[in-house]
Amino acid sequence: MYNRIIWNDILKSKLITLTTMIFVAVAAMLVSLAAILVFNLSGSLDTLMKNAKTPHFMQMHSGEIDTVRLESFAKQNSNINTFQVVEFLNIDSAQIILGNNSLANSIQDNGLSVQNEQFDYLLDLSGNIIHVSDGEIYVPISYMRDNTTKIGDLAIISGKEFVVAGFLRDSTMNSSLSSSKRFLISTNDFAEIKDLGSIEYLIEFRLKDYSAIGEFEAAYTSAGLEANGPTLTYTLFKTLNAISDGMMIAVILLVSALVVTIAFMSIRFTLLAKIEDDYREIGVMKAIGIHLSDIKKIYLAKYAAIAATGSILGFIISLMFQGILLENLRLFMGKSENSYFAIVLGIIGILIVFLAIVAYVNGVLKRFKKITVAEAIRFGTSQEKKVVAKRFSLVRNRLYSTNIFLGIKDVFTRKRLYATMLMVLVISTFIIIVPQNLFNTISEKSFIQYMGIGNYDLRIQTNTAEKIKDIVKTIDSDSAISKYVVMTTKTFKVKTSNGSEENIKVELGDHSAFPIAYSVGRAPAAENEISLSSINADELGKEVGDVMKLVIEGREKDLRVSGIYSDVTNGGKTAKALFSDNTTSVMWTIICVEFSDKSLVDSKVLGYSDKFDFAKTSDIDEFVSQTLGSTISSVQKASFAAIVVALIITVIVTLLFMKMLIAKERYSIAIMKALGFTNSDIRTQYASRSVFVLIVGIILGTLLANTLGEVLASALIASFGAATFSFTVNPLTAYFLSPLMMLVAVLFATKLGTSDAGQINISDNIKE
Amino acid sequence: MKKIIIGDHIVKSFGVKDDQRNVLDGVSVEINEGEFVAIMGPSGSGKSTLMFALSGMDSLTNGRVIFEGMDLTEIGEKELSEIRRIKMGFIFQQPTMLKYLNIIDNIVLPSMRNNRKNAPKIAEKARKLMRRVGIGDFEKRDITQVSGGQLQRAGICRALMNNPKIIFGDEPTGALNSKSSEDIMDIFSEINMEGTALMLVTHDAKVAARSDRIMFMHDGKIVSELKLEKFNGKDIEDRINEVTVKMREVGI
Repeated sequence: MYNRIIWNDILKSKLITLTTMIFVAVAAMLVSLAAILVFNLSGSLDTLMKNAKTPHFMQMHSGEIDTVRLESFAKQNSNINTFQVVEFLNIDSAQIILGNNSLANSIQDNGLSVQNEQFDYLLDLSGNIIHVSDGEIYVPISYMRDNTTKIGDLAIISGKEFVVAGFLRDSTMNSSLSSSKRFLISTNDFAEIKDLGSIEYLIEFRLKDYSAIGEFEAAYTSAGLEANGPTLTYTLFKTLNAISDGMMIAVILLVSALVVTIAFMSIRFTLLAKIEDDYREIGVMKAIGIHLSDIKKIYLAKYAAIAATGSILGFIISLMFQGILLENLRLFMGKSENSYFAIVLGIIGILIVFLAIVAYVNGVLKRFKKITVAEAIRFGTSQEKKVVAKRFSLVRNRLYSTNIFLGIKDVFTRKRLYATMLMVLVISTFIIIVPQNLFNTISEKSFIQYMGIGNYDLRIQTNTAEKIKDIVKTIDSDSAISKYVVMTTKTFKVKTSNGSEENIKVELGDHSAFPIAYSVGRAPAAENEISLSSINADELGKEVGDVMKLVIEGREKDLRVSGIYSDVTNGGKTAKALFSDNTTSVMWTIICVEFSDKSLVDSKVLGYSDKFDFAKTSDIDEFVSQTLGSTISSVQKASFAAIVVALIITVIVTLLFMKMLIAKERYSIAIMKALGFTNSDIRTQYASRSVFVLIVGIILGTLLANTLGEVLASALIASFGAATFSFTVNPLTAYFLSPLMMLVAVLFATKLGTSDAGQINISDNIKE
Repeated sequence: MKKIIIGDHIVKSFGVKDDQRNVLDGVSVEINEGEFVAIMGPSGSGKSTLMFALSGMDSLTNGRVIFEGMDLTEIGEKELSEIRRIKMGFIFQQPTMLKYLNIIDNIVLPSMRNNRKNAPKIAEKARKLMRRVGIGDFEKRDITQVSGGQLQRAGICRALMNNPKIIFGDEPTGALNSKSSEDIMDIFSEINMEGTALMLVTHDAKVAARSDRIMFMHDGKIVSELKLEKFNGKDIEDRINEVTVKMREVGI
């Protein structure tokens, strides 16, 4: 009997059943995909890092190295299992040509390396340790991904020819977020080419007990060992490797939460509409003594059927889609050992979705208890108890047309009923506006000030301290340059509050020439002042006005914190000061240049790139677009996607909500029609309800977007180093076009959802 | 006398293709201006369906309904709505009120459509009518705060708001006790005396006895008619007896 009832019911409401099933299928697909991805990611990551024997601690260092001192440190520290110093030959990216493509525009620090002997192996795409022959080169996997080169291509590095023999997975530098990329060549070739670049050392350790990494780091710093470069740990490598796929999983989970919510809402609205439709029949069934649980079963069975079909469909689609999503993961990290278990987890995921839906439907059906037989048979609809909004009276209304008045009055009278729709509209407005504002903000030219970059035209960066004078001399004599400043970055030790010492990179120079935006305080103006990036200020626990101690050549120097700024460069951990220091070696130097005639920038970049081939010359716009360009374009894509998703949600929820209202209010509509209200009057009343709720939704959503949204966006940006910023709002899109799109969506859905109102027959609904 | 409504061979069928049943089986009726017509018949005889058909609230399977020279089966939904709003009034057995409006708002509702500028005048008229039917103090009450009889009076006020040519009533006293029922019927008689035509569907001989003409229905057809003198408030018992005898005669 159930089968027949369910089947008839599904045939009667094909569109709604299909919509609900699609939502369930999408929700199940996403949950299953997320489960499959999580397990594959963790599995692949573990396999990669196990096979590569990723170092637990890595100190990058440029400059002189005292290997004997390092070896004695390694011997004395009982926690060290193995230790090695790896050479990384930094090559100017313009000197690397792969096939037909030059890496001149790459912002990565590309360099050459040989295969390691003990750990930190570079692996081929099957996960095996690569044994490279003379004349061969293995290229980082990211250059395969972006189609820069292919196997068999000719590679020319600083004039020496290689054949691209394959691609490599590098467990420490695989991620696009990691700024260095290692190419693998043979030991003979390395020795031959060694003088054509600058050597950077990777001082690497594997520990016996990784949990004691904190103590190990402190011991390394306090031993005063080589530390002229970034320090990285196993956890950081893991995070860097996991982050891009992890973010994809997070987005999938977020979207699946959203879709599950919509699926629940659509089930709620259609179920309530169905109950209203069947009100009299339910009353009759109760009256003739059919048990409540048996009546419930009829409804539950239908949704269980929809949920089961949707979940199974979703799972099958997720299996079809997993290949595409796992492609990137498999390419960068290899196949996971957990792939079968991942599928089991996917099944558990869809089971949870299925059970959640059944439980939810069961919850909604609890209202059967409240249906009284007499009321159901007599009225055929639920008789809600309402408090009439008294102050809002038709006889005193002069402001609105009667239809609009009736619409708004209904919303005021039944606030709870409209709360769900309002919530959806608030969320939709929020997800339309926030990504849009974020995109406007980060694509604004002035945003680079939040990134710790001043407003100049060109930068020349070099690690070769001896040649700075040449550059300065040339620039000084260039009449096209209106202003320039030389900034040198050096590593000092800073005393932390617990007395230990940590490394800090300080950029020395005149910071007033190209000012950046300070979230608190100002740039350092005196010898005894220092400003900190927000991440550094947080980590060191310093605020403006606090004094901090730097250790320079064994002597302590007190510096007062003059300001805190946002920075996305160098991992967001920087400091700025203007004291002079000739004792510490320079890590790198940046010369910031401003031209009086901006149209010269392009030709000057080319000219200086040629002239100073040992340095990296970049147009600041190019620098920004390479640093932030992919983020800006992702945010732009995300904001378009958000608009589409929000509008679809708005249309679907409004449509289902209106259909539910029409089903609930057949009696009232019949009265209206009997009293001489036309179908278009009735549609106007429903449109006024949805437009009124929409207006409140847009106002609340916009307020929320500009407050909570700004905080959330700030938090997101803060994770890259920028501390505080305020949204750059484009009033045309945020306050006109977005609400207009919402309005069109809501009106369209209302018109579609209320089209049945015209079919309501007066006599069927009023006749005694 | 001028005819206000002519129903011409009205057929109304229900059911699916192969199993159709004529609830109205070629009914022809005429109602004159200012006439009070009662329709009686057993349950399922088609009384209410006839009323809904004549008032344009239900579509016909066949036949025509002419209201003041206009064929209601030919005109559009908008014109039909306007006729119902301006020229007709309706009273149902259950008080058909909108739940989220108070008594006076429900009464003024049909008059306020596109007419909010005249709201003070409309409200004044509603108050006058409410006083007349004895619910003058209930203006701001919710519809849940008054009795069935009071609601039915409010329904009458609503039906009278636009000075209709005819009021249709489907068992308007069916849910009331005898005292309330009599009060309501007194109001109906008064309205009719002022020139508004009435067409009431009823089971009650006491109600029908106040009319000018009674049509008896059976199986979708008018099987008999009884014409009475215009009711002047006297001899109600005699009229009731006459109706009762006729009812027995036609088998109701």
